[in-house]
Amino acid sequence: MKKFFSTALARGLFWQLIGTLVGAGLVTGIRVLMGLSATDKFFFTEPAWVLGGFFGVLFFLAGNGSVSDWFKWARGIETPEHHEEQYTGWEKYLNVSLDHKVIGIQYTVTALLLICVGGLFALIFRTELAQSQLQFLKVDMKLFGQNGPELYNTLMSLHGMIMIVSILLGVAGIMNYVVPLLLGARDMAFPRLNAFSYWIAVPAAVLLLMSLVLGGFGTGWTGYPPLSARAPVGVQMFFLGVFTAGWSSILGALNVIVTVVRMRSKGMTAMRMPIFVWASVATSIIAMTATQLIGLSFQLVMFQRLFGMGFFDPAKGGNPVLFQHLFWFYSHPAVYVFVLPGLGVISELLPVFARKPLFGYRWVAMSSMGIALVGFLVWAHHMFTSGMNEYLRLPFMYSTLLVAIPTGVKFFSWVATIWKGKLTYPAAMLFVLGGIISFLLGGLTGPPNATVSVDLHLHDTYFIVGHFHDTIFGGFVFPFFAALYYWFPKATGRRMNEFWGKVHFWLMTPSFFVLTLGMMRIGLLGMRRRIVDYDPALNFDSTHLVLTIAGYLIGLAVLIFIINFFYSISHGEKAEGNVWNSRSPEWQVPSPMPTHNYDQPFEVVGEPYDYGLAGSKYVEFAKPEKSKNK
Amino acid sequence: MIHTQDKSSALGQGVLIFVYLTILTALEFFIAITFKSVSILIVVAVIKAALVMYYYMHIYKLNENSDDDTHSYAYKTGTNRLGLWLFLLSDTFVFAGLMAARINLLGFTRPPLNQLLGLAVTAVLLLSSFFMNRGETSMAHGDTKGFLNNIVITFFLGLGFLIGVVAVEWRLAAAEGLVASFGNPANGPMGGVFYIMTGMHAFHVFTGLIFLFVVWNNARKNIYSAEQHWGVEAVAVYWHFVDLVWIFFYPALYLIGKLIV
Amino acid sequence: MRHFVIVGILVLVTAVLTYVGLDVAGVATQMNPIEASAQSIPIDWLWNWEIMAICFLFALIIVPMAYSMLVFRRKQGDTTDAEHIEGNTTLEITWTVIPLFAVLALAYMGAYSLGETRRIDPNAMIIKVKGQQFVWTFEYPDTGIISTELHLPVDQQVLLKMESADVIHSFWVPEFRVKQDVVPGRVTEYRITPILVGSYKVRCAELCGASHAYMESPVIVDTRADYNSWIAEQVAIVAASQTPEGLGKLLTVKNGCIGCHSVDGTKMTGPTWFGLFGTKVDLADGSTVTADDAYVTESILDPKAKLVTGFAPVMPPFKLTDIEIANIIAYLKTLK
Repeated sequence: MKKFFSTALARGLFWQLIGTLVGAGLVTGIRVLMGLSATDKFFFTEPAWVLGGFFGVLFFLAGNGSVSDWFKWARGIETPEHHEEQYTGWEKYLNVSLDHKVIGIQYTVTALLLICVGGLFALIFRTELAQSQLQFLKVDMKLFGQNGPELYNTLMSLHGMIMIVSILLGVAGIMNYVVPLLLGARDMAFPRLNAFSYWIAVPAAVLLLMSLVLGGFGTGWTGYPPLSARAPVGVQMFFLGVFTAGWSSILGALNVIVTVVRMRSKGMTAMRMPIFVWASVATSIIAMTATQLIGLSFQLVMFQRLFGMGFFDPAKGGNPVLFQHLFWFYSHPAVYVFVLPGLGVISELLPVFARKPLFGYRWVAMSSMGIALVGFLVWAHHMFTSGMNEYLRLPFMYSTLLVAIPTGVKFFSWVATIWKGKLTYPAAMLFVLGGIISFLLGGLTGPPNATVSVDLHLHDTYFIVGHFHDTIFGGFVFPFFAALYYWFPKATGRRMNEFWGKVHFWLMTPSFFVLTLGMMRIGLLGMRRRIVDYDPALNFDSTHLVLTIAGYLIGLAVLIFIINFFYSISHGEKAEGNVWNSRSPEWQVPSPMPTHNYDQPFEVVGEPYDYGLAGSKYVEFAKPEKSKNK
Repeated sequence: MIHTQDKSSALGQGVLIFVYLTILTALEFFIAITFKSVSILIVVAVIKAALVMYYYMHIYKLNENSDDDTHSYAYKTGTNRLGLWLFLLSDTFVFAGLMAARINLLGFTRPPLNQLLGLAVTAVLLLSSFFMNRGETSMAHGDTKGFLNNIVITFFLGLGFLIGVVAVEWRLAAAEGLVASFGNPANGPMGGVFYIMTGMHAFHVFTGLIFLFVVWNNARKNIYSAEQHWGVEAVAVYWHFVDLVWIFFYPALYLIGKLIV
Repeated sequence: MRHFVIVGILVLVTAVLTYVGLDVAGVATQMNPIEASAQSIPIDWLWNWEIMAICFLFALIIVPMAYSMLVFRRKQGDTTDAEHIEGNTTLEITWTVIPLFAVLALAYMGAYSLGETRRIDPNAMIIKVKGQQFVWTFEYPDTGIISTELHLPVDQQVLLKMESADVIHSFWVPEFRVKQDVVPGRVTEYRITPILVGSYKVRCAELCGASHAYMESPVIVDTRADYNSWIAEQVAIVAASQTPEGLGKLLTVKNGCIGCHSVDGTKMTGPTWFGLFGTKVDLADGSTVTADDAYVTESILDPKAKLVTGFAPVMPPFKLTDIEIANIIAYLKTLK
């Protein structure tokens, strides 16, 4: 316990608390001097909470030591390129480390924790939805300053945003762990920035959870003004949290791009990079640039609330629809940030388990870039009913439909990859296949939303909810689990239990399809999104009950996974060799991976996925005696 | 490191570019008060931006191939340079978003601001960019003393810009009624747009000043040399970027469109 | 070759079976619920084509996938790799170009369908709609009727001119298919031609606050004769309401008061008005106050001045004249 309180995590959280109090106290003091009210419903006034939240993040980072090297640089003191690890065991992961593998695991475990929190929120409101009328989130209850329906709205909004943040962290986790290994780099290009990107996400998660207790915000994760301009102070914590998490994503993505451009092994030309690296670059291009726009749009609402700047307030000549443009300019491409790495994982793993080359490597690689670029041009398809200029609707319909082409290339190439393969089905492969099917359902239900006239009916219904859960599960959740089953032995030297992995799969997959297909069905019939209660006359009760049961089964499956994951770290079956018989460089050396990655640099001498080509090799390691940095 | 230019011709080039930029800025002002062509203003701003990016920020250095040894300072600097440029690209999206908001909310109108004061702060920032370039050129040729002198001038010009905007312009704007309600139905949220655009830019100037102080302080300890001065280069590129943003914000706030009173 | 033939047949069979299955479930040839507007016909037409395409593409991917998973399993004890097939450029070009044409066709059909739903009848009847938390109000400009129910004559195009008093709402009648946001600060238009007599509901489709789920109002499509008699009835009510109580009641409808305040004792977002006037009211600060003229007037003009215990301070101030307030008070007195 004493050890825990001396970790960077505990110190950071402590300093975040202090920072919040200092910031809030500062504003309160100034307000008192100016003769304004010092307290409000949630003790501090709104400006005090905002500055407090902001100071909290700064104090966290300064307090836990993730920026200390930069402060040294600013004073003209050099620091070593790599710090030797001071800690072992679990302590390593709760302290600031510059090792990309440790940071990758930190990201991944944080993502899993947030998935549990977001999932728990989902189960709470899913339970309320099991029947029409209000069962326990009633109007006369009161929790965190909110009544039942308001709490429902907050939980529903937080489910969205916490899941998004957890996906961003999960994506960053896999990319951080795997990309340098695939490239043969010793670390990311900027190890300190990498640590900073991770640690800034922790206070962000705290801010998001703070929004729940500070009156919540019943705006949906989209936070459209004017509703968000009228929401309780919790919405400010939500904005700050997203803004902070956004920086994690921006800086992490920047790091990935620079790493890929500058740190590839000898001989690794663009067309010999592992396919996951292509997907990571495509994802990072979006995350690095577009993320600024969600930060900006939320910032503008923050200023509107704090100072009365009427950007989105029609009474002051502002334009509510402008917010939606700024917001979706990120939030649509964000979907590709979530799914492209997952699709990369699918493309990366299929050849290993099919024992056959990835079909049309170049096409798959270019399709990732194609999706990323077209993704910048489609944002207004979320706004077909918003009252924006009518003439914008058709061009955005056309550009949205174009996304189908590179996506189709991926599907056809995957099918061609397993065609005539020699397939085996460990849990990792099951999740890859499940991901393909789920993404297929999500992808096929996309075009109806893209065609404006049909979307006029589907927009803001459960059809959309089902559609995007299919894409996100297929594009992220299934491949994420696949990646964890697949690379777990690399990180720990042990493998996860196969039996429970299969239980996890067979419990989650059918439940999930029941859930999303059921959602789409009632959505067509008139079930709106984001409602706490539905008209009993619509006869949705029995469907909703089934959906709730399916939701619980998914929760159970994930719980099984979590137990399996943590149990296997110390008790799993030993697996130190090339468990999957892969050609990839990271599997050519024993697991777990040594601290400074490869002892000998490797040179790329062949194609990455030439399974079945006798005598071919992807990489060749330098002979130990030739090595000079030993 | 091999210099393509000797020191005096590098400095001379800086002067020449500064003269071009000054002429273009004067031309902008002239256009704005005479025939008010937005398209010409855009063309002029793009030319100014191109000059700054090429001659002051040295964007072509991204293409420079350093030797194969990935552990050398030169290689590492190349990596850092790419990282910095990507960061600036990301930051550009914030300013582009603000610009989009300005166009959407205010259209072809502009806030009631003193155009001469705008020209004055713009000139101060431009001049600071000029001295930044001199400072960086000095350091690239190993002249720490020259660097220190120029960086001090840059710092105080930057500070002058910040004071001009925050202490003078913000007060004048408030007197014009831009704060009172931060917007009204007739003119749109003019006050909001003005303060957020100048505020976001001023925040970048402020951080730039901190970085200037840091490199000045480090240079006094003699830790930079002609071969190893990534810190100086980074601050210079960042400072010119701040100038680059203002090249677009200045006409957007002070020059284009009809004045609304 | 044998594999391709089997898969080809299975793809077609699966595609047809999926389509038939979806049709039986009621989501193919017609998207449920029933089509109640002329606009729903081109929408459902496009939807049907999309479902056909979806069924075919679904089969095209899922069948070879399932086939490979079953047929191309690794045999027990086999440790060799599969055949080395790197790719096939012709095939890649094929499955880029053919979908491109499919997308072009879909884009054309989408534009056509959108055009059909936006077909303008110059004789369209205009009705004004106001959305506010959490109630819809409908105003018929020709007759001055103000109602919380939307009555429409069948086979007549109507143009709803919609405004919001507070946040963004969205006007959606699932049976009409079309949906349009109602945005504060601007007038958005919703054009619809009902074709089926019946009783439907408009459901707010954009999250607008705590009671968003309950922001539903009846939409009744009448025959021309029924519609005319409803209009006549409403006109008569308005005419008969030229008393203070009657005018007060109309004001409470027009301003959307009854969206939050019930007149029959049920608890809604705000306190009920049933039997309110003249009784003691418990306030949030612990004091009590008698619901008299002064209290009601203050609560309309400055709702946050005295908060009733157990209710959130969500009511916006209403700028009403003294006469209007007097009329509302007269109406409140009748609610016993």
